[in-house]
Amino acid sequence: MELKRYIGRRLVQIFVIFFVILTVLFLLFRLAPGDPVSRMVDPNLTPEDAALLIKEFGLDQPLLMQYLYYLKNFFTGHFGFSFHYGQPVVQIIWNRLPNTILLFTTSIILSALVGIFLGKIASWHKGEKTDICMTLGALVTHTIFLPWLALIMIWVFAYKLGWFPITGMITVEIWLDPQAGLWTKALDVLYHMTLPLATLFLIHFGSYLLIMRSSMLDTLKEDYILTGRAKGLSEKVIRDHHAAPNAALPVVTSVGLSLAFSINGGALTETVFTWPGIGRELVFSVSHNDYPLAQASFLLIAIVVLLSNLVVDILYAYLDPRIRY
Amino acid sequence: MALLVVENLSVGYQTQNGYLHAVEGVSFSLDAGKSLGFVGESGCGKTTLGMAVMRLLPSNGLIREGRILFDGEDLLTKTDEEMRQIRWQEIAMIFQAAMNALNPVHRVIDQITEAIYTHTPSHNKNEAHEQVRALFKFVGLPEDRMRDYPHQYSGGMKQRAIIAMALACKPKLIIADEPTTALDVIVQDQILEETKSLQREFGVSIIYISHDISIVADICHDIGVMYAGQLVEYGAREEVFDNPSHPYTKALLSSYPTLTGEKSQLMPIPGEAPNLINPPFGCRFSDRCTEASVSCKSNPSVWLEITPTHKVLCHQCGKHCGE
Repeated sequence: MELKRYIGRRLVQIFVIFFVILTVLFLLFRLAPGDPVSRMVDPNLTPEDAALLIKEFGLDQPLLMQYLYYLKNFFTGHFGFSFHYGQPVVQIIWNRLPNTILLFTTSIILSALVGIFLGKIASWHKGEKTDICMTLGALVTHTIFLPWLALIMIWVFAYKLGWFPITGMITVEIWLDPQAGLWTKALDVLYHMTLPLATLFLIHFGSYLLIMRSSMLDTLKEDYILTGRAKGLSEKVIRDHHAAPNAALPVVTSVGLSLAFSINGGALTETVFTWPGIGRELVFSVSHNDYPLAQASFLLIAIVVLLSNLVVDILYAYLDPRIRY
Repeated sequence: MALLVVENLSVGYQTQNGYLHAVEGVSFSLDAGKSLGFVGESGCGKTTLGMAVMRLLPSNGLIREGRILFDGEDLLTKTDEEMRQIRWQEIAMIFQAAMNALNPVHRVIDQITEAIYTHTPSHNKNEAHEQVRALFKFVGLPEDRMRDYPHQYSGGMKQRAIIAMALACKPKLIIADEPTTALDVIVQDQILEETKSLQREFGVSIIYISHDISIVADICHDIGVMYAGQLVEYGAREEVFDNPSHPYTKALLSSYPTLTGEKSQLMPIPGEAPNLINPPFGCRFSDRCTEASVSCKSNPSVWLEITPTHKVLCHQCGKHCGE
């Protein structure tokens, strides 16, 4: 009951914050170098035609009216047409978003689970060979520059060894084949996803491992761990049942933040692996002055960040009974 | 027969500055159903002593010599697994509630039943819950709070829950380490009453560790006074109280106020406890002692029996008696 009220309150907060973001974004695009008129209107048009077009777009209206139109369009789901694709922006984003979510959610959940598990083991063997190897490995992979690792992965596993495809998300022939079942198609996507997934996993699991390790080391000094030992619990129960749930809390925050920023942070990965997701679309729209597409992508990022934070807060309340709202 | 006999126990810690002699040559015995209190200032080794009996010293802790006989068996020769079985089933602990002794992410009932399941796996859920209900009733906690989390309890309730947890496996010995220290005096008094009644009803032996001599005097049959890692005076409560023999015990008694009796000036003990990495060769209290002589500093102190149940570790006392 309390939780429900809390979520309701958070939703209102989120709505207010989102409104602010919406406004800032509106102003930002109008403050950007080169006024929107010259960017949106073809310079080859006659001045009369240009004026007509400007009037049609509503760009001759005062800023306030433009803002109100902007809000109305947003809340009725009209994001305009992409300059480059000539398709509705909503449709483009709707096509790209699942690809991004598939790749990044999988990689983050995978690296968090492995990171938490290995971090727990490392802290348990603190100072021993196991710990030193894991910590060093985590530090190295964590600090590698992502695009470089991505290129090396492609060069070794796709180009030299030929185990995985170099680009893309699907094999067109398989998807055009009417005989191919869902299972074949899923395997095809998994096959294409392996390299970007492995790259993201290698980059991310180290930070979770390090957070979990240091959090575990702090937790193991807590008095309730001593109570557990005094109660005659086995070391395994103390580690997994008493220390790990407490120690995993900071990792959850970190996972939430990674989820939130994966959409835009994925720009590099998606570009290198030509993964047809939102990140690549964002880079493309910005570099091609595709104004409506860029604006919608930014709004999408804002929504994802806000919602991930909400999910983390709810998850926290579930994991830590001390947090009640 | 004595339930617990500790003979010449020495415990130390490996520290960056060298080996720290936390407990040196401590011997005592405790009969079944009796209670023994250890008093002394911070750092005198009383907590280390309790932890050594449970064999729960931190990783840099080392039991250098001595024997700990529990029910006639030496705990120091037990394997880790055997020791794990003894913990809580035979010897339980009551921790200070101000410490985070209860795990914040688990319900209180689950933390108590966990101890029951660990030592008697045959218990089913209903039996265990029934047992917790009875324990809650005994320590005066409302049954409907069993499923709460520790942070929903007040300090006094947490302390009661910890006592209930200590009783869960019906141990023969309970080591209570400063259980009332962080509580206000009224709750402190209630907890002390409960400790006394659990001793009456369960017939359990208690080792009570405190810096507060008045608390120990309230509930213990025997009192051991510790100073700088050594037991300096040991005897029945009345004897230690009515005839404090070690200068440290005397000083300790006169540094606490009394509600009854004549008003007297509180006497602080000047100076501080010696460094336990290089403890003095002679009597460890000699630097702060008003009665110390040259021989106190140059010779190790020896035990002197005042009565069969009252001993003191002091040169001067011996001299007085000899005179």
